[in-house]
Amino acid sequence: MKPFPTWLLDRTKLADSHTLATYKKAGGYQALEKVLKQPLAPADVIQELKVSELRGRGGAGFPTGMKWSFMPDPAKDPRPRYLAINADESEPGTCKDRVLMERDPHGLIEGALIACYAIRAQAAYIYVRGEYRLSYQRCQAALDEARAAGLLGKNILGTDFSCEVHMHKGAGAYICGEETGLMESLEGKRGHPRPKPPFPAMFGLWGQPTTVNNVETIFNVPFIVARGGAWHAGIGTKGSKGNFLCGISGHVNKPGVYELPFGVTARAIVDEVAGGVWKGRQCKAWFPGGSSCSLVRGEDLDVVLDHDSLKTKGSSLGTAAMVIIDDHTSIARVMEIIARFYDHESCGQCSQCREGTQWLAQIFHRIATGHGQPDDLATLESLAQGMAPGKTICALSDAAAIPTLSAVRLFRDELAACIREQRDPIPYPRVEYAGAH
Amino acid sequence: MVKITVNGRQVEADPKQPLIAACHGSGVEVPNYCYHPGLTPVGSCRICQVEVQQGTAPGRVMVACRTYPAEGMVVNTESAKAHDTRRECLEFLLKNHPLDCPICDKAGECDLQDYTYDEGQAAGRTHEPRRELEKRHSLGDVIVLDQERCILCSRCVRFFEEVPKKAQLTIADLGSRSVVATFGDRPLTGNYQGNIADLCPVGALTLKKFRFQARVWNLVKQASTCPECSRGCSIQVEVLRGGEVKRFRPRENRAVNGWWMCDTGRFAFAHVNAPNRLAHALVRGDAGLVPVPIEEGQAALRALLAERRGALFVLSPFCTVEEGRALQALAQRHGATAVFVSPGPNGLKDDLLHTGDPAPNRRGLSELGLAAATSAELATRMGAAPLVVLAGERVAELVGRERLAALPTGVALAVLDCEVPTARACVVALGVPTWVERSGTYVNVDGQRGPLSAVKPAPAGVRALLRHVADLEQAPLGARS
Amino acid sequence: MALPQKLVQEFDRLVQRYPDKKAGLIPALHRCQEELGGWISPAIMEDLAAYFGLEPVEVYGVASFYPMFRLRPVGQHFVSVCHNISCELRGATEILEHVCKITGAKPYGTSPDGRFTVWPVECQGACANAPMIDLDGVFHEDLTTAKVDALLGGLKR
Repeated sequence: MKPFPTWLLDRTKLADSHTLATYKKAGGYQALEKVLKQPLAPADVIQELKVSELRGRGGAGFPTGMKWSFMPDPAKDPRPRYLAINADESEPGTCKDRVLMERDPHGLIEGALIACYAIRAQAAYIYVRGEYRLSYQRCQAALDEARAAGLLGKNILGTDFSCEVHMHKGAGAYICGEETGLMESLEGKRGHPRPKPPFPAMFGLWGQPTTVNNVETIFNVPFIVARGGAWHAGIGTKGSKGNFLCGISGHVNKPGVYELPFGVTARAIVDEVAGGVWKGRQCKAWFPGGSSCSLVRGEDLDVVLDHDSLKTKGSSLGTAAMVIIDDHTSIARVMEIIARFYDHESCGQCSQCREGTQWLAQIFHRIATGHGQPDDLATLESLAQGMAPGKTICALSDAAAIPTLSAVRLFRDELAACIREQRDPIPYPRVEYAGAH
Repeated sequence: MVKITVNGRQVEADPKQPLIAACHGSGVEVPNYCYHPGLTPVGSCRICQVEVQQGTAPGRVMVACRTYPAEGMVVNTESAKAHDTRRECLEFLLKNHPLDCPICDKAGECDLQDYTYDEGQAAGRTHEPRRELEKRHSLGDVIVLDQERCILCSRCVRFFEEVPKKAQLTIADLGSRSVVATFGDRPLTGNYQGNIADLCPVGALTLKKFRFQARVWNLVKQASTCPECSRGCSIQVEVLRGGEVKRFRPRENRAVNGWWMCDTGRFAFAHVNAPNRLAHALVRGDAGLVPVPIEEGQAALRALLAERRGALFVLSPFCTVEEGRALQALAQRHGATAVFVSPGPNGLKDDLLHTGDPAPNRRGLSELGLAAATSAELATRMGAAPLVVLAGERVAELVGRERLAALPTGVALAVLDCEVPTARACVVALGVPTWVERSGTYVNVDGQRGPLSAVKPAPAGVRALLRHVADLEQAPLGARS
Repeated sequence: MALPQKLVQEFDRLVQRYPDKKAGLIPALHRCQEELGGWISPAIMEDLAAYFGLEPVEVYGVASFYPMFRLRPVGQHFVSVCHNISCELRGATEILEHVCKITGAKPYGTSPDGRFTVWPVECQGACANAPMIDLDGVFHEDLTTAKVDALLGGLKR
């Protein structure tokens, strides 16, 4: 892999990287100052984001500048407006936003303030998953420092731009990482996603215009504002610009969160960045971006890890959280866990998802424990097709169906053998326990 | 209004109402569970999926309850894609649904049965054990919850939040562990609980008073009007094989009661199923009141009316407009005064439907020019009259049985009612039908006219009040004048 | 029961963050669970309902939705063990087995001596440092059975 410029994780390597002092010394809050003092008009900031071709980093990859431009014209729609930052990071395999929040919270805050300026929001809420206690503490401490330094609240840096940023805690539900589930949860309700339309820009928090963005997405904003959108668009591949935080976990020697440019292949990431597959083994299968995308065969690691290239392998970038599965691992066992996860996390509104996620989990459980039935694989495919695409309020149903279909497509023989032999021929440790109640 | 096409026919649709309302309004059935016109749409059950095509975009399957009509929209509720999507949805719902039909009250009027019959698949594929939850969970005096049957449409939860506006139910837990629940073991309260049994598309919420009482296909049903207060909710009366009234249910009437009725009216079986009916004519002889042929009873009353001018007619507020008019005329012809007894407020008035006025046709009778008289006022007036004619169901109860017992000798009392009279002053009694045994009109508190329709025959010795009045007007054939 | 004054004052400040005070419900549930015995009792739900102007059944619907809220009493120490894919691939099952052995609790259960509740959980965001446990709100990552011994052994007394 050629050397490449970095910026996302640079400050996290500094001592006391989470403090305002370190942040300022490293050039922090200069982008905010540029925006407020030059000044840039909000529309200019949005334009810069559009030029940058930054795509959302929360899994959906929606172009950020375009999303910001969906907010209504405040002259025509004077309702209060919000930015909600999705720090609910719960996609299996994903642990990158945590690094930013724990070690560089001011970067997130500066990004939030600039984003609020651009979309003309009076307040931002950072919705952090309840389990990320250190992230919450670090971000709250950073907010306190920022307020004391006149960088937050009324008349920031002495201008007439006022903005509040508040922390908010989730409580353990993956579905609250879905943008409308997040908003329901933030309002103090069950995290039930809302049907769209209406979209958050028209009907968001408390029915007001709202933009929801991932932590890493917002984190990019000060860099894009400081260096210009064209700089960002000059890095990466067609359709996937800039650097991204790649998580890699599972059967590799050096699991971790690494900053990489778009354009590197999955094989380079595994072998050169993550120290190769562990124990001298081969990769049997891998998830490119969390568990909600299709599995890819180990033989297909030579694909570039970006949005468009992964589509050619029938998968998607998701959260860029690679999970590497070695050739001593049972796919039935992997899918038992993945299916159980969606069963646990479905909010239960939609008939297909509520019943389907449980059904998929039950079938994979039977296959993995030697109780498969001859029609199970056909049923899995049929159920997954009934659960997707676009048949439900939100995409969790799709997220359960997609890996299921890929596992049956790519590892049909292995799963069929489990059924035929009424056992999983690949050993793995088991503890039997029923679900939580 | 916008012009859309539904299954090839052009339809005018209100763009502010969900597409499903436009379909239903134009006679096109679209299955639905979570959608209900009286509740906020949520789009969660996914059964109302239809194929929608707009402009040049290809047709997409969308839920009709959260899609709003737009000019030029083309809707196909019967396309193969729409059928397939709904069939899949039904399979998901039936995976955990218990095979309770043989013992479930809802059978015969169950939306899960009906939609599955229409477009579900004949055989299920699940090998998995069905979930085990509470099956006979009492939610208080009115409702039993069977959590296993529940398809989690959330209508019941939304009903309490949006109609009586006080949450009493929630969906607890999430995903495949979701259940409908109250807080702890608190029972449901309030006078509107029965509505959730109507709303429930399946047999998860059933009425304790209807549980195992009848198979719905054995019930004869008729549209009518509830008489238990002056709201006059539009209802349906359901009778088992010409015998007991087994159920009252609300009918939709957006001008009166929306889709709801209160539990007071819903469970008002006592009068219509009362065993102690005045089912023949009675005339007082030496041994007391003795049954006689109806014509003889009528003759006795005819004679009384002829002899005793200045009689007082006391009508029941349960008299229909038609009965009121006929009795008013009869009174006039015999130089009698006619009033109707006016019960006081019963304390059940609420912000929703119940008016607290137990007189169903107060306005209808008042508009005829009949004056209202309280039971206390009547006590004096009755004592001064030579003849008191009480007419209409529940009249004796509303005037007050003690007041009637205290009538001085000299007052002759004639009673046309449903219950057997006990007052000594009563010299003739004629049986009349209850409100489920006769037809007529009520006028409610707001001036809305509500029909009564007979749904079961009255007992043999009973004759309609209008018929009694007509008979009293003329001597029967063959009678000596 | 009633909410302690200290918490009420905290909530009064908390709800200022939002245009609708009901948004403070989930943070308030967290604080109650942290300060009032480690679980959300019916009494706490009633008190929160009164504070937020809700019906208790509404608070119950919210509290029961979120896996982090315990609606039954728990042990003195709460051990969450991630059993999702990245942790499983790095030995989460052995860690779970070991945690259960040391604590005496079964998965989703509390040990007979009331010291520990062990709770398998979904992905906690420690995937690059798997396997992990969360012990009383603190992540412990890159675990081995020896590290588990060190962490939990001392808490048994």
